[in-house]
Formats: sequence, structure tokens, C-alpha cells
Amino acid sequence: MATVVAIVEDDTDQRENYSDVLTAHGYEVRAYADRPSAEAAFDQELPDLALLDIMLGEDMDGGFDLCMQLRNLSPTIPVIFLTARDSDADRISSQRMTAWDYITKPVSLEFLVARVHALLRISEQLQTQPSNDSSVAVGSLEVNEASMLVNWKGKPVNLTLTEFWIIESLTRNPGHVRTYDALSDVTRQGLVERNTINGYIRRIRNKFRELDPNFDRIQTVHGTGYKWEQDNE
Amino acid sequence: MNSLVGPRSVKAPPDSTLTSGSARIRPGLKIRTKLLLLVVLLLTIPWMGYESVREMEKFLLEGQEQALELTTQGISSILGNRTDLFDPGVGVPELIGRPLTSLLAEIEGPLAVDAPPDSWAMAVGVLTHFSGSGLFECGPDYDPESLAVRHGLAINPESVFAYFEIDDDVLVFRDPALLSLNSNDQIRMTVQRNNGEILRYLLTAQAPGRLSVYLMRANWKDVVDGEALREIAGTIDPVEFGYAVKIRIPRELLGVGSRLKFEVVDVDDETDRAIRRIISTEPDPMSHAFGSVRLVTPELAKLIQPLYISEANITVWDKSYRVRAQVGSVVPPAREAFGMAPPNPGPFFQRVEDELIRFFDWILRSPARGLDDMPADSSAEDQRLLARVLSEGEPNTERRRYGNAKLIVTAAPIWAQGEIEGAVLIKQSANKLLALQYETLQRFTILFLAVFIFLSLAILIFSTRLTYRVSRLQRETEQAASSEGRLLKDRIRAGARSSDELGSLTRSISSMLHNLGQYTRYLEKLPDTLAHELHNPLNVVNSSLENLQYNHRELTDDKHLQRARNGIGRLRSIITSLTEAASLKEALSQEQEQLERFDLCALVQNCVEGYQSVNPGYRIVPTLAPGSAWMLGVPDRISQLLDKLIDNAIEFGTRNGLIIVNVKRVADEIELTVSNDGPALPSEIADRLFDPMVSSGRDARQTHLGLGLYIVRLVAEFHKGTVAARNRRGGTGVELVVTLPMIPTP
Repeated sequence: MATVVAIVEDDTDQRENYSDVLTAHGYEVRAYADRPSAEAAFDQELPDLALLDIMLGEDMDGGFDLCMQLRNLSPTIPVIFLTARDSDADRISSQRMTAWDYITKPVSLEFLVARVHALLRISEQLQTQPSNDSSVAVGSLEVNEASMLVNWKGKPVNLTLTEFWIIESLTRNPGHVRTYDALSDVTRQGLVERNTINGYIRRIRNKFRELDPNFDRIQTVHGTGYKWEQDNE
Repeated sequence: MNSLVGPRSVKAPPDSTLTSGSARIRPGLKIRTKLLLLVVLLLTIPWMGYESVREMEKFLLEGQEQALELTTQGISSILGNRTDLFDPGVGVPELIGRPLTSLLAEIEGPLAVDAPPDSWAMAVGVLTHFSGSGLFECGPDYDPESLAVRHGLAINPESVFAYFEIDDDVLVFRDPALLSLNSNDQIRMTVQRNNGEILRYLLTAQAPGRLSVYLMRANWKDVVDGEALREIAGTIDPVEFGYAVKIRIPRELLGVGSRLKFEVVDVDDETDRAIRRIISTEPDPMSHAFGSVRLVTPELAKLIQPLYISEANITVWDKSYRVRAQVGSVVPPAREAFGMAPPNPGPFFQRVEDELIRFFDWILRSPARGLDDMPADSSAEDQRLLARVLSEGEPNTERRRYGNAKLIVTAAPIWAQGEIEGAVLIKQSANKLLALQYETLQRFTILFLAVFIFLSLAILIFSTRLTYRVSRLQRETEQAASSEGRLLKDRIRAGARSSDELGSLTRSISSMLHNLGQYTRYLEKLPDTLAHELHNPLNVVNSSLENLQYNHRELTDDKHLQRARNGIGRLRSIITSLTEAASLKEALSQEQEQLERFDLCALVQNCVEGYQSVNPGYRIVPTLAPGSAWMLGVPDRISQLLDKLIDNAIEFGTRNGLIIVNVKRVADEIELTVSNDGPALPSEIADRLFDPMVSSGRDARQTHLGLGLYIVRLVAEFHKGTVAARNRRGGTGVELVVTLPMIPTP
């Protein structure tokens, strides 16, 4: 049975384009133009992954409502927000609803497919056997590449896909500077401004600081990029 | 949105020609001065009042004159056809100055000088009271207990009998050891014979009983004849209230038409024997001049007695210019004439008023003082007027001025059987009227002054308040926008609740600012909104292109597809820079707590190395002050600021040019300057360079949204710094200066 990806997007052209590329990559796509039709369908049958626009026509927060519904139906279903809204408030909302990823438009379809693929793989792994086999420990940090989980001092850090990729990239060579260009590639979003990277780093730091107010491992190398500071102990 | 009320952080370039606050102030009158000048116009009111009082004076004087004329004519008609009254034979010698008393009692037999006082009192009939309130004798401190005189006269064919009852607390007799005659209680008698001769008799005593009579010189000190006279006999009898004096004067001594005056002289102290008071039977100072002979007709006098008019002197003359009857005096009663202050000074306000009145008296010359100018003798003028009346037979009126004294004189002929028998002459002082008028003027002036001061104060307060409100409005309006035209606040609170025009002006300005603020906010949000709206169609194009490429692999290297992708890339970068400012503002508001200490020099050094490697076509040179420059802030944002400054310098500098990044410490601030060698700033955008959507971009292929320097400003303001742009001194090039607060090196 083919993997089912649900797309909820009010713009027909974009919906069709997502639909086309995902279908071409072998997914079964179910596309919905508004919240009520999507809601009805989700009640009938859950997709394996949902790609949600936040603003659905006049429904300003329709995507968030759908995400809540999905979370209620299944705690593990991967949800990606794909939206033109690029505010911290929206990102925090999506985080609170444990959406797995938050992508801003315009999105490269190539990277979109990659993300969908990656998330489905993680979802699959979580459902079968959550193992720590692929865990890599960097000091107090544990990075599980298979399940894309990150623990700081034993506590899980709730990161989005992009954020995970950045942490993964920084910790792959602790103490070495990751340039903006390198980090830009890691986000898999096509053209990424320095400021966007700075934004990701800021949000990652905030998430770590929620667990550990003294967190200071991610160091800024001004004008160049960031590096992960080695544990001293 | 925050920047709407942010500090005025953009410094104006020094060479700018901005309209500063002082440029709006022009020389000229201020509202307050103008209003006060208007108040000065009120000063015409006293002039108007003065004029109207003058008019009133004229009117009143005419009225008085007419009234007096009527009286004169009335009297003359009463006296008409009474030839008997003017018969020279009925004339009696007159006792000078008994204007208000009844005439002499006529008795049949003689009165004995030694008879008890009571019998004399019976004989002379009603006694006339003379108090010390006569004009010149006793002065203001007169006490009726100390000296008062009751006096009566009787006449029989041989003699005139004078009787006095004198209240005196201390009776002082003549001391025989003393030579002087003027140092004890005494009676002085003045006789003016009808030939004009004046005789002065002093009646004095060493003990109760007979009086010694001496003929005296005019000074009442020296005796003409040392011998005591025998013709005049008199006694002095102490009684319980003081003493009584009886005097008998032979009629032949007086003759027909002579005048008689008594003065009672009071001495109270046995030792110093000074004359304390003199009470005269003739209180009219006018009558001191013995110019004319009076041949008083008793009946005539009786007739005109009731016609007494205050401050007027009525005389009836016969055709031989002899006074046949007289009543009244032009001089006002003593108390007024002495100009004495009212007994109680009264409350403070009264005193202030009195002081003011005194001041005005001094300035305007009170007519009350005019009485001093009243001549003692005006008989020459009277004679002239009478001559005219008697010869023409027509009533005549004159107004006379003696210095400040004003006199209205009217005369009317008295007819009898078709012939002029005599004339009535009335003299009345106009000074009382003038004094009244003067007083009115005074009160008016004081009232006006009070009103003037009150109005001036009120207008001063009002205009001060108005000026304050206007200047407050001006200040607030000036503060509402920065000198670059950036709106700092969108309403004016002060004074907006007032209901007057100024309040409504304030409200208009406030609502204008509010509308402007909304518009500004709309403009500031426009890039963000625009970007958001562009994202969806851009995504459509992008995803469609990708699908196209995916479905038609052979098109991957198609040049048109490539160009389309390039176009999308440019569109994306435009949109990103559009949203950068808006998202920066939002992000900064959350980063307030994430400030850290860092060394700006180190940061700049790092960044510049990065820029140099990315932009090999330019020489980017850091000229950093030795040591470190620590500041508190968000390093990411500062490097973002530096990014924008470098981007700007690259964009506007000459190709392969030199870009200098300088950091220096100035007092407790850090000055970060990025200068390029590009063309000078156009003056029209120099002030607004750091505002959104302002750019002097020349290259159409490059994106010039003018948001880069706006981000610089936002970051600098977030760090409590300021930004400025200026042309480099001496030569081409522009430098952008960011000033940031420095903290001590940790």
C-alpha cells in the first residue's frame, strides 16, 4: 500500500504542483482545499503524513486547527506546516502543536520531497522500534539520527526537522566552524539568507535554554558562522 | 511600530538646511504684549470721564446760576413796592454778624448794670448761642464744655444793653501784678462808626463786679488811653456754669449805622495765661472788612431771614449803595472749611482710598482749597455790579474767579412805584459744587484705576495662560515629528480636552497626527504585507517550474528555464529583504533580555575578514582603535548592522574602491564608521536616508528597496545608539556613522 500524504492548501495551483511532484515520487496524495473537507476525510482515515497550509482561505488559523485534530487522532503522525507566514508567533504555535516541521514559502519541491521522505522514515522508525543504536553522544548531547531525536543532559529537546539538521551538522565536527553557506545547505531550503540561519540558531538556543538556562554550547563566529563548543568535562 | 515613539536617533547632517525650531520664531509682538497694548487703550476711559465731568460742571454751574437768578428775582419782587423798608430813618445800628438770630429786643426802661443777671436775661429775651465752631477763633480742638457763649441784646432810646452767659470751666481774672491786658478772660468789643472809624474796647476785671473798659489799639495789647472809660459800664458775675456779663453802651457812642462786634476771650491757665479760644459774635470772616456802612432795616432783615441759602450771602441794598439787610455767608461751615479728617480712619480699604484721595488732591488741586483764595473783600466788584443793575434796571449775573475760588453773583433791582428803590445781591460759592464734582471725579478715577488694574491682571493671566497653551501646543507639535519628518507620536494629549478654539485646534492636529500615524504604520507594514502576498504566487511559479523540469528532464539546461529560475531567485531576495525589517522589529522586541557583553573591535575584525573574502573586488580595510571596545548588545544584530553598512558601501562605492571600517572610542561612546569613495549624497534624501524605502540607487538591475539602512537604524536604536550619514570632508565619499554606548572593559 502506497504511503498516503494529505495536502491541505487553498491555492489550487500550489496544491496541484505539490500533488504532482509527490505523486511522481510514488506517494498517494489526497489534496483538500479547505478545513471542513480535510477534517471530514481525516475523521474517516488518517494519512501517513500531512502537509498543511496555515491560512486556508478566510480561515486564518485553519491549519493549526487541523493539526490539533490530527494530534488528537494520532500523537505520532508527522505534520509539516508549509506557509507564507514567517513569524515567530506562528513558529511557536506550530511547535506547541508538535508539528514536525515548519517550512516557509517559496519552497523548493526537491527539498520538500526530501523532507517528506525523511519525516516518513523517522515516523516509521518510531512506530517499529525506537532504538538508541544510532545515537551519537557529544558531551551532554545525544543525537539520534534515525529517530531524529535530540537529548540534552537526558532531556529531549523538541526540535523541528530543520533545527535537527542544523544541530546534527554542528555536532558532527564539534569545535569546528560551520559557515553560513554550509548551514544553508543543511536546511534544505534552497537560497537561505544569513539572517534566516541566525533565526534558526536563535530558536535552537531558546529551546535548549528552556531546559538549561546556562546553555552556551552554540558559539557565534561573527561574519562566518557557528560552531558547537566541546564539553570541557 | 515601536519606532513611532522611539528616541530622535537620527542625527541631522551638519550641512543640512533644516527648519529648526528657532527659525519659526520671528521678531514681533507676542500675544501677551498685544493684549496688554489693548488694555492700554482703556486709558481713554478716564479722559472720557474727565471730559464728561467737565460737561457736567458746566451744566451744573448753569443750573446753579439759574436757580440763583430765580431766587434773586423772587426776593426782589417780594421787596417790590416797599419803600418803607428803604427809608433811611428806620435804619438801626447793626450788631455785626448776627445772621441767624432775631433782631434786637426793644425795651422801654433802662436796665441797671448791677441788677441780677436773671433780670437781664429776661429783658433781652431769647439768647443766641455762639459756639467755638466759628471759622477762625477756636480751631479744630474746640470743646463746647470749655467755652460757649449765649448772648442777647436789647435797646432802649438811650442805651444798648448786651448780656452774655459764658460757659467757662476756669474763670481767670486779671492779675494786677501783670501789666499785659491780654492774659485773662475778657470781652472785646469792636465798634465801627458809620464814618468808618473803628473803636476797640477791652472789658476786663480783676475780681467779680465792675468791669474796667479800655480803648485799645488794633493789636488788642496796647492801650490808646491809659484811663479806664466811664461811658460804657459793665459787670462780671461768676455763676455756676461760668460767668455772666452785663454791658451798657450809650447809643450816642455808636451813632446811626454803626456796627458792633463782641469777642469773648478765654484764658484757662492761671500760670501761663495764654489765650486758648476766642468766640466771636461775627463768625463771618468777610465781615472783618468794614468797607461799607450798614443801615439795617429790622423789618427787611426779618423778611429775608428765612431765605437763608447755604454758602450764599444775600444782601439787600438801597439805591445809595448801603446794605439794608444781610443773611448767610459764602464760606461753608467751619468743620468742612477746616478740611478735617473724618473721626474714624476706617478699615484698611478706606485708608487706602484716603491715601489715594490725598494723592489726587495733590495732583488735581482740590477745589476745597480754593476757599483760601476767596477774597476778604469783594465790595468793589459788588459795587460795580450793583451800579449796572441800579442804572439799567435789569437783573444781572456774573461768575467770578479768585484763584481757585469760584463765585456766582446775581443781582436784581427792586422796584417801587416805577422807580428802582434798591437791589438784591446774592453771592454763592460754586466751590461746593466743584468740590462735589471733584469728588465724583476722584471716586471715578479710583474706580477706574481698580477696574484697570483688575482688567490688566485678568488679561495678563488670561494671555499668559493662552501663551502657555499655544507654546505647549507648538512644543508638542514640534515633538510629534522628528526634524527628518518622522512621526514620533500620533496624538497630542495636553489641552485636547479644552472646549475652546485652541482645544479644537489641538484636537485637529492630534487627529491629523493620528491619521498620519496610521498612514505611516501602513507604509511601514506595506513591505511585510506585500512580501506575504507575493509569497504564494511566487511559490506557484517556483513549484510549477520545478514540476516542468521534473517532467521534462531535457529542459534542465534550457536557457529560458534558467533565466526564469534566476528571476525567481531575484524575486525571493527582494521579498526576503522586504520582510527583513518587519521580522527584525519583531525579533528585536524579544531579544531585549538576551543582551550580552562583547568586544565590538573583535567582532568588526572578524566580520571584515569575511567580507573581504566574499567581495574580492573591493578593498575593505579595518582601522580599529587599539585595545577593545566593549558594548552590551546582541552580536548577531550588530553583525547584521555591519552587513548592511558594508552592502551599502559596496553598492554605492566605486567599483574596486576602498571601504574603510573604523571603530574609535569617543568619551563613553563607540563610533563605528563605514566610509566609501562613492559620489556624494543627494541632499534631498540625506535627511531620510535611514528611513524605509529611501534609496539613491542608480543601477536598475540591482534591487534598491532602501531597507538596508533602515535596518541599520533599527539595530542602532535597539542598542540605544544613533546613526548619521554625511559626505566626507575634502573629496568624494560618504561615511555612515553609528554611535553606540560603550561599557567598561570587563
